[in-house]
Amino acid sequence: MELFRPHGEAQDFLFIATERYKFCVLQWDYESSELITRAMGDVSDRIGRPTDNGQIGIIDPDCRVIGLHLYDGLFKVIPFDNKGQLNEAFNIRLEELQVLDIKFLYGCVKPTIAVLYQDNKDARHLKTYEISLKDKEFVEGPWSQNNLDNGADLLIPVPSPLCGVLIIGEETIVYCSANAFKAIPIRPSITKAYGRVDLDGSRYLLGDHAGLIHLLVITHEKEKVTGLKIELLGETSIASSISYLDNAVVFVGSSYGDSQLIKLNMQPDAKGSYVEILEKYVNLGPIVDFCVVDLERQGQGQVVTCSGAYKDGSLRIVRNGIGINEQASVELQGIKGMWSLKSSIDEAFDTFLVVSFISETRILAMNIEDELEETEIEGFSSQVQTLFCHDAVYNQLVQVTSNSVRLVSSTTRELRNKWDAPAGFAVNVATANASQVLLATGGGHLVYLEIGDGTLTEVKHVLLEYEVSCLDINPIGDNPNHSQLAAVGMWTDISVRIFVLPDLTLVTKEQLGGEIIPRSVLLCSFEGISYLLCALGDGHLLSFQLDTSSGKLRDRKKVSLGTQPITLRTFSSKSATHVFAASDRPAVIYSNNKKLLYSNVNLKEVSHMCPFNSAAFPDSLAIAREGELTIGTIDAIQKLHIRTIPIGEHARRICHQEQTRTFAICCLRNQPSAEESEMHFGRILVFIVEEGRLQLITEKETKGAVYSLNAFNGKLLAAINQKIQLYKWMLRDDGTRELQSECGHHGHILALYVQTRGDFIVVGDLMKSISLLIYKHEEGAIEERARDYNANWMSAVEILDDDIYLGADNCFNLFTVKKNNEGATDEERARMEVVGEYHIGEFVNRFRHGSLVMRLPDSEIGQIQTVIFGTVSGMIGVLASLPQEQYAFLEKLQTSLRKVIKGVGGLSHEQWRSFNNEKRTAEAKSYLDGDLIESFLDLSRGKMEEVSKGMDVQVEELCKRVEELTRLH
Amino acid sequence: MWQAIKDRETGRVRSNSFANRFKSRRVSSLQLSNRKDFVSPHRGSVNSLQVDLTEGRYLLSGATDGSAAVFDVQRATDYEASGLIAKHKCIFTVDKQHEHGHKFAISSAVWYPIDTGLFVTGSYDQFIKVWDTNTAQAVVDFKMPGKVYRTAMSSMAMSHTLIAAGTEDVQVRLCDIASGAFSHTLSGHRDGVMSVEWSTSSEWILYTGGCDGAIRFWDIRRAGCFRVLDQSQTQLGVRPPVLKPPEVSSKSSSAAKSSFGGQNRLKTLQNKQTGSQSIKGSSSAKASVEKSRQKKLHPGMLSTLDRATAHYGVVTGLKATNNGMYLLSAGSDSRIRLWDIESGCNTLLNFETGRIQTNKAIQLDTSDDPALVFVPCMKTVKGFGMWSGRTTLMLRGHYESVNTCCFNSNDQELYTSGADRQILVWSPEGSMEDEMVQDEVAEDKDNWSD
Repeated sequence: MELFRPHGEAQDFLFIATERYKFCVLQWDYESSELITRAMGDVSDRIGRPTDNGQIGIIDPDCRVIGLHLYDGLFKVIPFDNKGQLNEAFNIRLEELQVLDIKFLYGCVKPTIAVLYQDNKDARHLKTYEISLKDKEFVEGPWSQNNLDNGADLLIPVPSPLCGVLIIGEETIVYCSANAFKAIPIRPSITKAYGRVDLDGSRYLLGDHAGLIHLLVITHEKEKVTGLKIELLGETSIASSISYLDNAVVFVGSSYGDSQLIKLNMQPDAKGSYVEILEKYVNLGPIVDFCVVDLERQGQGQVVTCSGAYKDGSLRIVRNGIGINEQASVELQGIKGMWSLKSSIDEAFDTFLVVSFISETRILAMNIEDELEETEIEGFSSQVQTLFCHDAVYNQLVQVTSNSVRLVSSTTRELRNKWDAPAGFAVNVATANASQVLLATGGGHLVYLEIGDGTLTEVKHVLLEYEVSCLDINPIGDNPNHSQLAAVGMWTDISVRIFVLPDLTLVTKEQLGGEIIPRSVLLCSFEGISYLLCALGDGHLLSFQLDTSSGKLRDRKKVSLGTQPITLRTFSSKSATHVFAASDRPAVIYSNNKKLLYSNVNLKEVSHMCPFNSAAFPDSLAIAREGELTIGTIDAIQKLHIRTIPIGEHARRICHQEQTRTFAICCLRNQPSAEESEMHFGRILVFIVEEGRLQLITEKETKGAVYSLNAFNGKLLAAINQKIQLYKWMLRDDGTRELQSECGHHGHILALYVQTRGDFIVVGDLMKSISLLIYKHEEGAIEERARDYNANWMSAVEILDDDIYLGADNCFNLFTVKKNNEGATDEERARMEVVGEYHIGEFVNRFRHGSLVMRLPDSEIGQIQTVIFGTVSGMIGVLASLPQEQYAFLEKLQTSLRKVIKGVGGLSHEQWRSFNNEKRTAEAKSYLDGDLIESFLDLSRGKMEEVSKGMDVQVEELCKRVEELTRLH
Repeated sequence: MWQAIKDRETGRVRSNSFANRFKSRRVSSLQLSNRKDFVSPHRGSVNSLQVDLTEGRYLLSGATDGSAAVFDVQRATDYEASGLIAKHKCIFTVDKQHEHGHKFAISSAVWYPIDTGLFVTGSYDQFIKVWDTNTAQAVVDFKMPGKVYRTAMSSMAMSHTLIAAGTEDVQVRLCDIASGAFSHTLSGHRDGVMSVEWSTSSEWILYTGGCDGAIRFWDIRRAGCFRVLDQSQTQLGVRPPVLKPPEVSSKSSSAAKSSFGGQNRLKTLQNKQTGSQSIKGSSSAKASVEKSRQKKLHPGMLSTLDRATAHYGVVTGLKATNNGMYLLSAGSDSRIRLWDIESGCNTLLNFETGRIQTNKAIQLDTSDDPALVFVPCMKTVKGFGMWSGRTTLMLRGHYESVNTCCFNSNDQELYTSGADRQILVWSPEGSMEDEMVQDEVAEDKDNWSD
C-alpha cells in the first residue's frame, strides 16, 4: 500500500497490491465521499516463484513507474504515461535471488532502484539499477556497496536534496550515496519500522524489536552529508509502522501490541523518556491461543485470548454485549413498574425511586448513610398500583394511578392537585413528561392534561374506536419539558398513531401488520434524528424515522430482540441518550453513524428498568428482574468489550478450569534462544494446584518436543514430534504417581494439533493435512482410521461433529473434511473427502467451540453450532454450521450481493474467497461470507430492492433472515 | 522447529517462508528410506518414472522388459517387519503378455496431465501407446518412424492434448490424442532426439535435445525452431554497465568517475567470472522478446546459429525448472548445464557431476524451490545446489547405473530407478526410525519394571 501524487494532481492516489497478485489505484472523491478506482489489474505471472521475504511494492518518488517484486528473480515495472495513466506492465530480470529490500532513490534522472540482497555465501550487498523504460531493461546503476552488516534488511531512501539511502543493520547504520559513505555503530537491535520526520529527510524515527524508538539524524552542510547521529527517545509498543503526523505527534502501529498515538516531548520525563503516550488503539493480534468461558454461567461466552508477543504480551477478555456492574441489590418480588424522581426539578441527582406493585406503591429514597430505605410521599396514593410517575415543572411530582392523576409538591410532599378518572372508567395506560400527561381509559378514551403550578388542566379528550395499548409523549423537540407529538399504540387494528398535542389531532396512522399488539412505544432522538420505536408483544421491535414537524413516519425496520413483550425506556450514559429494551433478552438501542444498533445486555430477563442517577450511585440504572431490584452502572455502549490484562511476557497457551474458576497460562520470557534444528527431548510435567500454588508432582521425559496435550478417556494424549502417545496415570507402589505410556501411533511428519471426541482423535499434521485416529480399548492401541491425502500445511484443527472436521492451513484457507462412512472398500473409507473450502485470508492459530452471544437453548438459533477462531492479525471470527435450507438461501443472497456490492478497487469477492494454495485455486464451497451477507442491512433501500428483485424475495423477509444471522455473533 | 512454530504463531515468520524452510531442510536430509519400499515387478532396467500431476498419488514406471506399472505412493499394500516397513506393490502392470503390450523396451511412460485416467508409453518397438488407466487397455497408438526415446506432455496445456515424441528420427513429432494423428512435425535436429520437455510457463513452448548435441526451442504455433542454445553464448556483458547518457547530471557523473564506484563494479564483474550464481538475463516482457527474436531469426536462421550446440555429444536429459525461468540439460559429455530460458544463455555454472551415462536418456528432477537438482551419475544420484553447482547430496543405493530421478514434492521424497530393476525411495531423515526402535525398547522396559 503506498500513497503517491502524480504531477499536476491535487490529490494523493492510493496504490494497493494484494497477496493474490491484484493491484488497484484508488482516489478519494470529496464530493460523493466515495473511493474511485483509477486503475486496476492483475500482476501475476506464470513464471517465477513467489518471494520468501514478502512482496515489495514501491513507487518512484517522481511518479514515473511503480515497481513490484513479487517473484524471485523478477522485477515488475508498471510505467506511468504523461497523463498519469498506467501503461502496460513488463518484467525485468533481477539477478539477485534473495532480495531483502528494494527502494526507489530520490533525485535521479531516470527511475533508479537500490536493491539490498544476500548472495550465496550469506553476505549482504547493495546494488543500484536504473530502469530504462525504452529498452524495458535495467542499466547498471551509478553505485553499489558490498559486504554490509549481516543483519541489514531495511533501506530508507533519503529525499532530495541529500539523496542516497540509509541501510539499517543490526549493528550499524550506513548512509550511502554516490559520493558519500557514513556509518555509525548502534546497540544490537532489529529495526522493524521507520518513519520520516522532516520532508527533507534529515531525521527519521526507528522502531526496533524491543519497542524502543530512536531518532536518527543525518547531519549535513548544505547538500553534503557530514555524519549520522542516533538518540534513544523511549519505549512504545513494538512498532511495525511509524507515521510522523505533525507537531511531534507520531502514530506507532503495532502488530504485537496496541497501536499508539505518541507525542515526542522536547524534554525527557523523570525516567528519561521523551515519549508520551496520548492514545491507545486496541489490537488483539497475534492471538496465539484462547479459550471460551462462561464465567457468569449465563450461557453467554467470553473469549480470553493470549494476545500480543514479547514484551507486549497480554491476556484480553473479549465479551459481546453490554455488562451491568452490580452495585446494590434488594430482594423484591412482583415489581410492575419503576420511576425515579428528583426532590426538585433542578437537582442533578435522583432522590426517590418509585416502585409499583400489583396493589401498592412503595417509595425508596437514599438516606444520609447512602442506603436505600423506604420512605413516603404523603401526596401519593400508596395503596394502588402506580401506572406512571414523573418529575414535573414547578417542583412538583406527578403520579398516575388507575383512577386518578395526582400532582404533589416535591418539597412539601403534599398533594397539590388531583384529577379523577370519570366513574366507571379506569385509567389503563398513562404517560407523562415534565409538563404534560397523557392517559387512556377503558373504552378508548384518550385524555390530555397539562401541568401548571399546582394545577392540572384537562385540555383535550378524544374517543378512539379501539382500546389504547400504550402511549408516549417523551419530548423530542427543543423543549425538554414539552412534547408536540404523542404516539399511541392501539389494540384491535394493531396500529400506531401519531397525534399532535394539544389538540390530539391524528396525523399519522401506521398499520403494524400481524396479530401482535404493540406493548410499548417511545419517541426518541439519536444524533439529531427522531425515531419512533414500537415494541411488540412477541419481542419484535419496529423502528421508524419520524418527521417531527409533520409527524410522518418512514424507513420502517423490524428486528427481533427477544420472545417476550418489550418495555422501552430511555436513559443516558456518558452524556448520550440510549434506549433500554427490557424483555427476556434485554438490549440497548443506540445510534452510531446515524444507524440504529442493538446490543445485548448481559442479563437474563429484565422486566423493568429506570435510570437512577443518585449521589451514591451516579449514572446508574435500577433494574427489576427475577424477584430482585438491582442498581448498577452500565458499560460503555458498544458491541464488543475488551479488557486487557498486561503480562509483559509472551503468553502462549491458556486453559480454564471450570470447577475452580481458574486460568492456567503458559508464558515465555523474552529471551533470545539458539535455534535448535530438531527437538530430541521434551518433558511432560504434571502439576497439582493446591491453595493457589503449583506443585510439580511428576515429570516424564519424551523423545521429542511435545506439541499438544489432551485429556482423553481419563488418560493423557500427547503429540510428540512424529507420534501420538497415550499415557496412563498410574499409582506406584510407593504412593507416588507417574505417567506411563500405554500406546502410540506413528506416521506423522509433525503432529502439531490434536483434538479428540470420544474415542476419535483428529490430528493436524505440519504438512499432511488431517488424519483421523481411533483408540481401541480392547487392544489398547491407536490406529489410523482415515486421512486427507492433500498436502495441506496445518495451522489449526477442530472437530465439528462425528464425521466432519475443520482445518486451517498455512495458505490462509479453511477447509472441512468428511469421514467416509459409506465407502465400499476399506481403501475408500480410509480417505476423507474434502467437503468445504474457503479462503479466509488470515492465519488461524486456534479453533474453539463456543459462542460470544447468549444462547437460548429453546430458540432456533440455539441449535446452530458455532466455532470461534483467533488469528495472527488479531481477528476473532465465528464459524456457524447452518442448516441446509438456510445455507441455500443465504448462498443465493450472497451471489446477488456480489453483483450489487462492488469491492473497493474492483477486486472480486468471489476470487478473494476462492481456496488457494501453491498448487491450485478452487472456488470456495460450503462456506459463506457472513460479513458480506450482513452488509445487506447497510444498503440503501434502493439497492436492497435490487437484491430482493434478483432473488424474488421480499425485502422484509431478507432483512429478517439476515438479522437472524447477525444474532449468531 | 519448536522455535519456528512459535514464530509462525506470532506472525514473525511468514507462513510460506516457514513452509519453504522446512521443506528445504527435509530435502537436504534425503536418505534411503527404510520405511517405504516399492516392489518392482520389472525384469529389466527401469527407464522412466513419473508421479501423476493431479493428486501426486500414483507413480508410473516403464522398463526395458516392455512393462509399465502403476504404484500408489500414499497407501501401502501391506506391511513388513511388524508394520514398520510399508510395501507398495504395483496396482497393475501392462507387459509383453498384454494383448496390446509393447514388444520391446519401454523408454518413456508419462501421465496424462489433466487426470489419472490416461497414461502414455513410448517404446523401442516404435510405438507410442495411450492407455486407459482404469481398464488397462490401449486406446490410441501412434506408429513412429523409429525407436521412441522420450515422450512428454505439457503440464500447462489447457487447449491441446499433444504428446511430444523424440525418436531415432531427426524429426520431433507431436501426436494429438484427440485426433489420433500427428499434428506437427518439427524439423531441425540433425540426429535422433533423446529428450523432449515442455515449457513450464507456456503451453506452446517445447524444448528438445538431440543426439546432435543441440537443444532447440519451438513455439508450436509457428513454423520452425526459434532458438538453438549455444554453449558458448554466455551472459557476460549482456546488461550494459554504467551507462552515461549525455544528459546525466553533474552529480551522478562525478559519482561514476569516483574511484569508489568503479572499484565496486570491478569487483562484481570478477564475481561473475568466477562463475558464482549471478545470472545475467537480458529480458523484458516475454511476448515482446519473442517477437523481436522472431524478427531477427525468422525466416532463415543464420546457419552459424543453427549449428550451435549445447553439449559435446548427445543431449540425454532436459528439465525445465518449475518457476519457468531455467532449463537444465544433461549431455553425454558428462556435463549438466543450466540455461536461462529468457535469454538462451549458458549460465556457466559448473556442476561437479563426475561421469554421466552416455548412451541412454536420463531423467533429471529438481526440488520445489528449485534449490536442488537431482542427477543420475552412474550408480549414484547426486543432488546439486542449483545456484552453486556443488554436490550437497550423494545418494548411493543402486547396484547398477541409475536412469531416472523423480521428485515427489508432496512428501519431499525422491524416487529413483536404474538398470538394477529397482525403484528406490529416498525420504527425508526423520529421527523417526531410531526413535521408534528406542521407544519400543523403552516401552518394554517400562512394562518390565512395573
